[in-house]
Amino acid sequence: MATTACFIIVSRNDIPIYEAEVGVAAKREDAAQLHQFILHAALDIVQDLAWTTSAMYLKSVDRFNELVVSVYVTAGHILYILDYFIVEIKIVFMLLHDSRNDDGIKSFFQEVHELYIKTLLNPLYLPGSRITSSHFDTKVRALARKYL
Amino acid sequence: MANFLAQFQTIKNTSDRLVISVEDVSDIWPTVKPAFEARLPFKRATLNNKTRNPVFVEALPAEFILTTDSRLRSRFPHEQFLFWFREPYANIVLVTCEDLDEFKTILKPRLKLIVQNDEREWFVVFVSKAHPANDQASKMAKKVYAKLEVEFNTKKRERCCKYDMHLPEANFWEDLESKIMECIRNTLDRRVQFYEDEIRKLSEQRLMPVWNFCNFFILKESLAFMFEMAHLHEDALREYDELELCYLETVNVTGKQRDFGGADHGDDQAALVNPGNKALTQIVQEDSFREFEFRQYLFACQSKLLFKLNRPIEAASRGYSFIISFSKSLALHERILPFCMREVWVTTACLALIEATTSNYKDELVAPDIEKEFFRLLGDLYSLARVKFMRLAYLIGYGTDIERSPVNSASLSLLPWPKPAVWPTVPADASTEVLEKEKLILQTTSRTKSFGIQRKPLPLEPTVLLREANRRRASLSAGNMSEMFDSRQGPMEGSGFDSSTRMSPPRKALASSSMSRTNSSPGNFEGSIDRPMRLAEIFIAAEHALKQTISNPELWKSLSSSEEFEQKYLDLTKGAADNYHRSWWKRHGVVLDGEIAAVAFKHGHFDQAAKSYEKVCALYAGEGWQDLLAEVLPNLAECQKILNDQAGYLLSCVRLLSLDEGLFLTKERQAFQSEVVRLAHSEMKDPVPLDVSSLITFSGNPGPPLALCDKDPGILSVTLWSGFPDDITLDSISLTLNATYNTDEGVKALKSSTAIVLHPGRNTITLDLPPQKPGSYVLGVLTGQIGPLRFRSHSFSKVGPADSDDFMSYEKPAKPILKVFKPRALVDLDAAVSSALLINEDQWVGILVRPVNYSLKAAVLHIDTGPGLEIKESHVIEMESSAGVSENDGDQVQNDDAQIRTLNSDKKFERLILRDGKIEFPNWASEIPSILWVLVRAISDTLSRGSSSATTRRESIVDGMRTIALKLEFGAFHNQIFERTLAVHFTYPFYVRTRVTDKCNDGTLLLQYTMIRVTSR
Repeated sequence: MATTACFIIVSRNDIPIYEAEVGVAAKREDAAQLHQFILHAALDIVQDLAWTTSAMYLKSVDRFNELVVSVYVTAGHILYILDYFIVEIKIVFMLLHDSRNDDGIKSFFQEVHELYIKTLLNPLYLPGSRITSSHFDTKVRALARKYL
Repeated sequence: MANFLAQFQTIKNTSDRLVISVEDVSDIWPTVKPAFEARLPFKRATLNNKTRNPVFVEALPAEFILTTDSRLRSRFPHEQFLFWFREPYANIVLVTCEDLDEFKTILKPRLKLIVQNDEREWFVVFVSKAHPANDQASKMAKKVYAKLEVEFNTKKRERCCKYDMHLPEANFWEDLESKIMECIRNTLDRRVQFYEDEIRKLSEQRLMPVWNFCNFFILKESLAFMFEMAHLHEDALREYDELELCYLETVNVTGKQRDFGGADHGDDQAALVNPGNKALTQIVQEDSFREFEFRQYLFACQSKLLFKLNRPIEAASRGYSFIISFSKSLALHERILPFCMREVWVTTACLALIEATTSNYKDELVAPDIEKEFFRLLGDLYSLARVKFMRLAYLIGYGTDIERSPVNSASLSLLPWPKPAVWPTVPADASTEVLEKEKLILQTTSRTKSFGIQRKPLPLEPTVLLREANRRRASLSAGNMSEMFDSRQGPMEGSGFDSSTRMSPPRKALASSSMSRTNSSPGNFEGSIDRPMRLAEIFIAAEHALKQTISNPELWKSLSSSEEFEQKYLDLTKGAADNYHRSWWKRHGVVLDGEIAAVAFKHGHFDQAAKSYEKVCALYAGEGWQDLLAEVLPNLAECQKILNDQAGYLLSCVRLLSLDEGLFLTKERQAFQSEVVRLAHSEMKDPVPLDVSSLITFSGNPGPPLALCDKDPGILSVTLWSGFPDDITLDSISLTLNATYNTDEGVKALKSSTAIVLHPGRNTITLDLPPQKPGSYVLGVLTGQIGPLRFRSHSFSKVGPADSDDFMSYEKPAKPILKVFKPRALVDLDAAVSSALLINEDQWVGILVRPVNYSLKAAVLHIDTGPGLEIKESHVIEMESSAGVSENDGDQVQNDDAQIRTLNSDKKFERLILRDGKIEFPNWASEIPSILWVLVRAISDTLSRGSSSATTRRESIVDGMRTIALKLEFGAFHNQIFERTLAVHFTYPFYVRTRVTDKCNDGTLLLQYTMIRVTSR
């Protein structure tokens, strides 16, 4: 498991809607803020990269000393699930980590994507708004433990 | 072959263009030389590249050298192959002859001798000295040239051309150039083939022990150099790329312990764009080269070629990766390198690369995408240099000048300290400097944040410098270390500076008496090698060590004082920010703008600082990164406060308050609020509107909207959430209502003029609602007033930042809060009994009052009788509930329930008194129909005289008509008015016949008074 891992979901207009420190390292108080700073700056790269590829998983897009930013971009589209249809807006999953396990990160992203879609199915959840569900949080942390 | 290295270097330095040798057989070269050399460099040259594809070279420089020249003569044959690239690429045999015999006997054998060496590419230029006017001579020259052609031209190849000195033929030069080109092309092809074969041979032996990289290098670089001379830069670059790969392989694979290099004076200055920095002979080491110098040399050669190819962007991109990878190599060898060599090298390398690439960059021919990429690379280079420079500055004690912002903190605190084998120690004679530094440290007070924000400053160091430096000192044993730090671990967490200032009081006291404070054996400064170094000592030690490392006076000057440091820091930051902006990496750019703002702030340029901070805040606020916004917004507020920008300052305070509550302490949030209130009450002259949508939100009460009938006023209750940490008193509140059906309708503001105290969290306020037009209404804008300050809030929910249209969709759909119904009948007044009343008699007129789903509570009925009708004031008016009256009404079906109720209930009855023509309704009559009995009397002066004519009767009907004007005022504020005029018919009910029936004796007449009812027909 990665010692440092900061996971952020960025919604439309680059607004963070979910943040979690999922690393096992003893947390420095200021770490979260620095991680956020690094991830925010990496959005510059994501915006350039996202147009050059059709792949969702952009792999590592930026390095910051020992830390790597991996990014997964969902395609904005309309999903039909069990007679429901939900509008999925384009969102970006960003993970700042020091892990070398590329496959694990990819799986993590994919499962979180699934989890996110389940969140979207909740009629009380407004797409693009902050994800406050504690269930989501627990699940994401469990996934981080599993894959990172 | 390694011995040839020196020679190779000199040859390379002396020859930089292709050589064309001139065999001057007839001593004529001096005469034709100017004309020949005027053709240089060759235009429109076509050469073959390594893959034998033709490449067009625009200007090919070359040099004509006589074969008798010392440069060509003095060579030993064995060198020829090795340094073949410098040998002539074409041989021109220059002849002239005016006599056939002479040609046959002397010239021809001589030429045959010269050209018998097939290795060389040659051709003959026959120079005709004959003047065109001299026919004889011209003919002879032609004859000789013809002979020459016969002798030396072959079917395959023409090797002769004729040059008329006086009147050159038009196509001569073309001919000459094409012949030279042919020669060069052939020679080049052959030599490339030769070198490739040699290189292949050597490569095959690569894994054998005798293999020598230097030899390989000489061959490979010869080939590269030849390509470069021929202006085939692309091929030359490829050779260098291959050479680099081969070199890295030898470095990585061979397990030999090699000298890395980099220990010479001046090595700290990167030489990655300067191939001639060091002679290769200096860096040769056994059979290979020192890594430090050689890799830089290779990159310098590559970058030189890239610049020649006009590809500065590629140079920048390769350069950046090179710096990163080379920096890693430096880290591996950090123990043997001078202190902070790596940081110094990276700084100088970045700056050198920036300088070289920008000076070679011509922006007119570049696609926008590529251009963006270039600026991005420059930005990266600048910011890399900036980080390393900051690290150096921190080590010598300028850390207090570095803003503890997220960008600096992220760059520095995640970057490990330099790891020298032994941390530098304080020089013996530096005790005064240490004292100076110590004073300086004590003097510097960290900037206190505005609003008394208690936030812990972000770290600029990966670990505490004090600990790291002492740990790396050879003389200090681990035991000492733990003792030292166990006692002080607490206060030293965080930053080195803080720990030093916190520990200052004991130090101050001791500094006067003795320089060392913790040591048990005080006194001797130099002897204190066993005791841990203090922070000031670490700084001074680092400063002295860096002075040794840094050879560049410019860089050293930038570190010599905190002013110089700041200047350089600012230059680097600006460079990075500008380039990031030009590359559209706005996040990177804007963040660095914030750093520039911090410096401007420190120097009191608040205007400039505020502008930059605004940009940063706008970025973070726009994208909703609140943690980051919380870091920089107080700075902006501080600037605005100093600049007396009240509107901006208030807005910043409100924005601070609207950030997530967890980001600031309650005390800090209270400070923000008190600032707002203080400003509101004191200084402002003009009314200032302030958007507090993110802070104060409001909504109607849950449940159905308030329903009102037309013209009815009401009381509207609204729920307000206050995000202020404390109670806040608003002088007044006004709230606009927007009609949903019609946007043109002017919005109506409800006002409450009394002061309202908003508690933190949920509040309920009530507002008087004047009568509204029919329709449904939603809440519009809430405005609260504190002094001249107007709070405006237009949001219903707290999701997302305010001020952004994109967030409209996040708002909950507006729920109607008020419905005003269209005008309808609320009450009905009718006459219960209105006909067959007798004129001139007291008659009861019944007025039926029927409320239509509307309360008649406290209703007042004005009764105004028309002419000819009067109400008996003395008489009471009676009111009774009339369940039965409306029973018959077909259109009142929906009232069934009420009717049944009233039927069952006891019939109510009350006497009322008419005062000033008004009757007040009793409470029981507010919901149910009732009948009002009024005693009236119609007065008619003309009593009918018993005429039986029809006209009289008709007149009497009109005559008998009286009206009662009724006006019912009802509703909560008697705002509803219902008026009706009832017609009441009075009849002269009878024909009155009077006749005397008898006459009494006593004079009494007995009259018969007969009233005959007239029935209407």
